[in-house]
Order: sequence, then C-alpha cells, then structure tokens
Amino acid sequence: MRKHLLLTAAVVGFAAVVPPTGPAWAVDPSRLENAAKNPNDWLMYRRSYEDWQYSPLDQINTTNVKDLKVAWTHTPGRATRGLQSMPLVADGVLYYSGSYSRLFALDAATGELIWSYIPELNEDLIAQQTHSPYNRGIALGHGNVYVGTVDGRLIAVDMKTGAPVWDTKLVDSEKLTVGFTGAPIVVKDKVLIGAQGGEWPWRGPIFGVDAKTGKKVWEFFTVAGTEEAKKTWGNESWRTGGGGGWMPGTYNQAKDIVYWGTGNPAPLYDWAGPDWETKGPRPGTNLYTSSVIALDPDTGELVSYFQELPHDAWDFDSAVGEFLRIERDGETYIVHPNKGGYVYVYDEMLNFKNAWPLVKNINFIEGVDEKGNLIGRRDMREGKHTNLCPAIAGGISWNSGTYNPKTGLYYKVGNEWCMDLEIVKTTPILEPMAQLNIGANFTFTDPEGGKAYGHVDARDPITGELAWRIDFPEPPLASLLSTGGDLLFVPDARGVLRAYDARNGTELWSQNNGLGHNGGIISYAVDGKQYITVAVGWGSLVGDAYPDLFGEPYKSMATDQGWLVTFTLPE
Amino acid sequence: MTIRLGGIPALLLLATASAGPATAEHLDVPNLFASVCGFCHEDGGRKAGKGPRLMNTERSDEFLRNRIAKGRPGRMPAFGKMFSDEDIDEIVAYIRALEPREEASVR
Ligand code: HEC
Repeated sequence: MRKHLLLTAAVVGFAAVVPPTGPAWAVDPSRLENAAKNPNDWLMYRRSYEDWQYSPLDQINTTNVKDLKVAWTHTPGRATRGLQSMPLVADGVLYYSGSYSRLFALDAATGELIWSYIPELNEDLIAQQTHSPYNRGIALGHGNVYVGTVDGRLIAVDMKTGAPVWDTKLVDSEKLTVGFTGAPIVVKDKVLIGAQGGEWPWRGPIFGVDAKTGKKVWEFFTVAGTEEAKKTWGNESWRTGGGGGWMPGTYNQAKDIVYWGTGNPAPLYDWAGPDWETKGPRPGTNLYTSSVIALDPDTGELVSYFQELPHDAWDFDSAVGEFLRIERDGETYIVHPNKGGYVYVYDEMLNFKNAWPLVKNINFIEGVDEKGNLIGRRDMREGKHTNLCPAIAGGISWNSGTYNPKTGLYYKVGNEWCMDLEIVKTTPILEPMAQLNIGANFTFTDPEGGKAYGHVDARDPITGELAWRIDFPEPPLASLLSTGGDLLFVPDARGVLRAYDARNGTELWSQNNGLGHNGGIISYAVDGKQYITVAVGWGSLVGDAYPDLFGEPYKSMATDQGWLVTFTLPE
Repeated sequence: MTIRLGGIPALLLLATASAGPATAEHLDVPNLFASVCGFCHEDGGRKAGKGPRLMNTERSDEFLRNRIAKGRPGRMPAFGKMFSDEDIDEIVAYIRALEPREEASVR
C-alpha cells in the first residue's frame, strides 16, 4: 500500500512517507552504487557513478549493427526546445522527462505508456526565462523518480504509479528567475541538484534534499560558500556572482564524496582585463566558480576543490562535463572536461595531475602548466577584441562523452569556433532580475584559415593521446554512447544517428531520425534483448546559433518537436 | 523599479534613485545589449545570432514593442515585467537608429 499526498504546484517543501514497495521497483542506494555491474539497467544520468556513459551489453555488435530497426518511438508533447534529456531504465521500465519536466514511464520493450506526470508550472515565469523550459534528466531511487523544474522545485513521483510523493520549492525563481534544468542525482539517502546560472546574478547553490521526505538538508553556495571564498570577491561582488552547478555531478563511493562542476562567474567578460585582481566588476579569483568541487554528501561541506579557471573571464564553465573515474596502474584518476576545451585529470581528492587540449582552436590561454596554472591568459579590457577561441558556446558543450573500458578510449565531441567581441562596462539588472549579465557584445566567427566545425575524438583519457578522429561539418550536440559490442554511437546535429567501430572509427550503420539530436542516448536490455534509445529534438541555446552559422538544414529545423526512438535487432 | 544600467557605480545609482523622482534617467540601451539582449542579438543588434538581426528590421514599432514585452516562448524571454513602456520605446528608438559599424572588421 502506498500513501500519497496530492500537491498543487504552489505547495512548498513537503513530506510524505513512502513505505517500501516491491523489490522490483526499489532502486536502493546499494543498487545505485553497483550500477556499473548490472548490464541490463541504466539507473542514473551517465549510467553509473563512474560516469562512463557506457553500456557493457554486447548483443548488438560490429557485425549485426547494420540490421538495427526501430522498435518504438514516443513523444512527450510540448517539446519546446526539443528533447534534451537522458532516459533511465530500471527493471524493464524506461523513465524520462521532456520540456516543462513532463515525466513518462514506458514499457522499455514496447514503448507502451505505464504512467505520466505533468507538473503544473508557473508559465508566466517561464516566459521570462532564457534557459527554459527544457529539462535534462531525472534520477531514480527510494521508489521514486526525481525531477527539477524551471520554477525552482524538486519533485518526487512514485516510480510505480506516477503519483506525486513530495514537491519542494528550493529556489525563489519568481525573484531570481533561475530554476533547475539539470538532472538530480541520488546519493545514499539524499537527492542532490544544482541550480542554473553562470549568466545569472546569483550564487549558484547545490542542494542536498532528503530523498524520502523532500526536506532540504543542506545548501552549498558555489559562489562564496565559505569565508575563504568570500575574500575572493572584491566589493561584495559575490552577491551577484553566478556560478550555477547546472549539470549533475557524481558520487565516489570509496571516498564518500560528491564531485560537482560549477558555472562561470557573472558578468561573463570583465572590462578590467589584466587588472582583475583589484579592479572590475568582480575583483579576485571568484571561488568556487569554474571549479570542480568535492562535497560531503551528508552535510554539503566542502571537502576539496580545484579552480580550473581562476577568475574565469571567458564563460568557460566547469559545470559541463562528466567526472570519469578510471583506474590505471594502481591509481584512480578523475577526468573532467572543461568548457574551454581542455580536459583536466585529477586524483580522487581533486589534486591536479595534468590537462590536455581536446580542441585545436584555443587562444584564451596558451596552455596549462604542470601545476594546473593557466599560462598566457588572455585577459581582455573594455573595448574591441577579435578572434577569441573558442567562442562563448565553448570548445566542449554540456552533453557527455563516453569511456569504453574495452578499448581504453574516451570519445568526446570538440567544437571549433571563435568570436569577435566588444567588452562593455555593465551593471546587472536586479529588480526584477533580467537573468543575463554578459558584459560584452559578440559575434561568432570561423577559426582562422577554415570554417567552424566539430569532431569526435577517440583519445586516451589520461594523456589525451589521439587514437582517431571523425570530423563533422557542425559540432554534434548530443551525448555519445559506447558499448561492450565495440560500438560507438554518435547522434549528430543534422539528425543522423551513426554507429562506428569503437576500435577504429569505421562507420557501420546510420539512421536518419529526421531532426537534430541534442540530448541523451542509452542502452539497456529487457528479457535478454538489447535496445538503444536516443533522444531526438533540437533547440538548445547552442543549437540556436546554428542557423546563422551554418545555414540549412538548421534554418528550417523545428525547435518545438522531440521524441524518443528505440532500436533493436530483428527477431 | 528598473535599476539603470551603465558605467555608473551602483551606489551612485541608489543615491540618484532616493534623491527624488528620476528626471534625467535614460535607459542605457547599448549597455542593455551588452548585458542581456546581445546574448542572442549579436554585435549590439547589428547581426543575427540566436535571434534575428535587429538593424533595418522591417517590422512595425508596435510589433517590436510587443515582441520585447511578450517575448516568444522557447525562443526569446518576455521583458514586459522588467521594463516600462517608456523603456521599451527607448529600446525601439535604439534599434531604429542602428547603423553598421564603421570598421569592416566584423564579419
Ligand atoms: C535567448 C535569446 C534572446 C534574447 C536574450 C533576446 N532575444 Fe530578441 N529575439 C530572439 C529571437 C529568437 C527572436 C525571433 C523571434 C521570432 O521567431 O519571431 C527575437 C526577436 C526580437 C525582436 C523582433 C525582431 C524582428 O525583426 O522580428 C526584437 C525587437 C527583439 N528580439 C529585441 C530584443 C531585446 C531588446 C532584447 C533584450 C532586452 C532581446 N531581444 C533579447 C531571441 C532573443
């Protein structure tokens, strides 16, 4: 028997005790901690806490992938800005979220609807938001499905029935305009979620919420979350700091810490240029923005951190990017891509090891030294500047790459584009908050001597050594998937899903899904049969730049459609 | 109340605001583009980006006012709650006065 409390959209922070349900429906913490060992399911955002975005399933392989056929499709409806989320699968049920945090549970073999949950949101507020109304994913655990909303709530819904369990307002979105678009993660007895916003003049909190009751247990401000950090924001600029941890982090069971990447500080560009330590809108290094942080999941206390970009003046968040956990020669490494185009390698406590460039066109710095310091920073004063690379959309975007333990390779999309800009002295609009606080006018440009483009690289995750690379006329913007069948799946921007031999990059199969990809891709098995499910749908803010940059097919591409497509082998 | 933009220190702004009715307050539209609108309307509105080029738009003033106030769901945020009608008139006047930059640098 289950008890439910039906809540209205406006209800704030509430609790209902959910009695344990049958074992088939329970996704308890130990199951999450062992997610990598269970080939059939896809239990969390990047499948397991190791963050590999890899499925060990091998029924679909390099020989038979050419026979893949569509098994079923499903549309969430109201797919404004496409479908950007990552579906999850537990025990033959597929769960996913669409724009406006619309939730669905489907039979993972047939696509048949089990339940749906359509939350009521503040539509007036949504109309005022920039990074809205898309949702990038959900979390499973404790018999619930968890989803954030753009109007500042975290909602728990019963996995089995779709009935609401609790609905907690965590952020005053009406005042701050920020909410949640990133997936939550479940760590032990808590749900963790980060708020949006490097562009927003606020303090980018990450929340720890009791998974059973919905009660907020802790809140960590990525902007000046400690006294030490406050000193790195001159003139009290932490009050309008930015720094949202807008993508999910992950959990290290062995160390009992949570890794999270944080957003850039606001304004994005700084008119003080090289005088940023004492002058400009946010004098100082601006901790903990554009950083990777390790938190105690029980208390939200900071355990360790590394600031990838001290005083980020280019909008190159650390919020993008997985935290691959990789063992090699008796050492455990954490590999984390930064939006600026470098991939950082740490030990488990986030001590810097090395960094390597995934992207060719990088000139905001000349490099990263052996201690992790930036070499040759390009700090630009008020006024005009040309050919800054990468462009504001980043050398690396927010969707995930994939690590395949069989090949030992890390597959990741790199973006090659630059921009001209004019840095302007601005002050943020705070009442009511107009969200963005950019600090420059800019225009995208092609890199010198060529056209803007993207590539999928297969590299050693620790050294960055290149095994092979595939170029794309426009950067793919979706997550990648690799499998135990030696396959790499790349859902591209034009709408073609391609499968490659993960060992050498030979293309083996492709399918035109009819619309650009900008979300997740997973693999799972039901009754011994392997499936691949990909989110189809176009319309992120990075994708919005494509019509002007690349012309067709993007000029004509719908941004209000989306669906899931699931493939399997014929009987 | 809209907190004005510009290179004026925030404290000074507050002082002006509390000194009495705002008389000479103009919305600093170029600054507004550099902080908010330019995310989508590049180069101060002279070039397309995520949104269309605003310079030389053939739309009527009323259309522009309406778009700024109401936005376009999933494409452009609504700014009607942030700006007064007079502010929006100033934005439209700025758009109407846009001219290409003198240098031929920017593509
Ligand atoms: C998130 C991106 C975004 C932001 C931020 C944004 N716009 Fe827009 N804007 C758009 C898009 C997209 C359109 C086209 C909408 C449509 O399809 O009609 C547009 C259209 C317009 C139009 C109508 C132009 C025409 O010729 O149709 C005006 C005027 C305008 N915007 C002004 C502004 C102003 C002023 C701001 C800042 C206060 C702003 N915009 C901020 C994306 C944006």
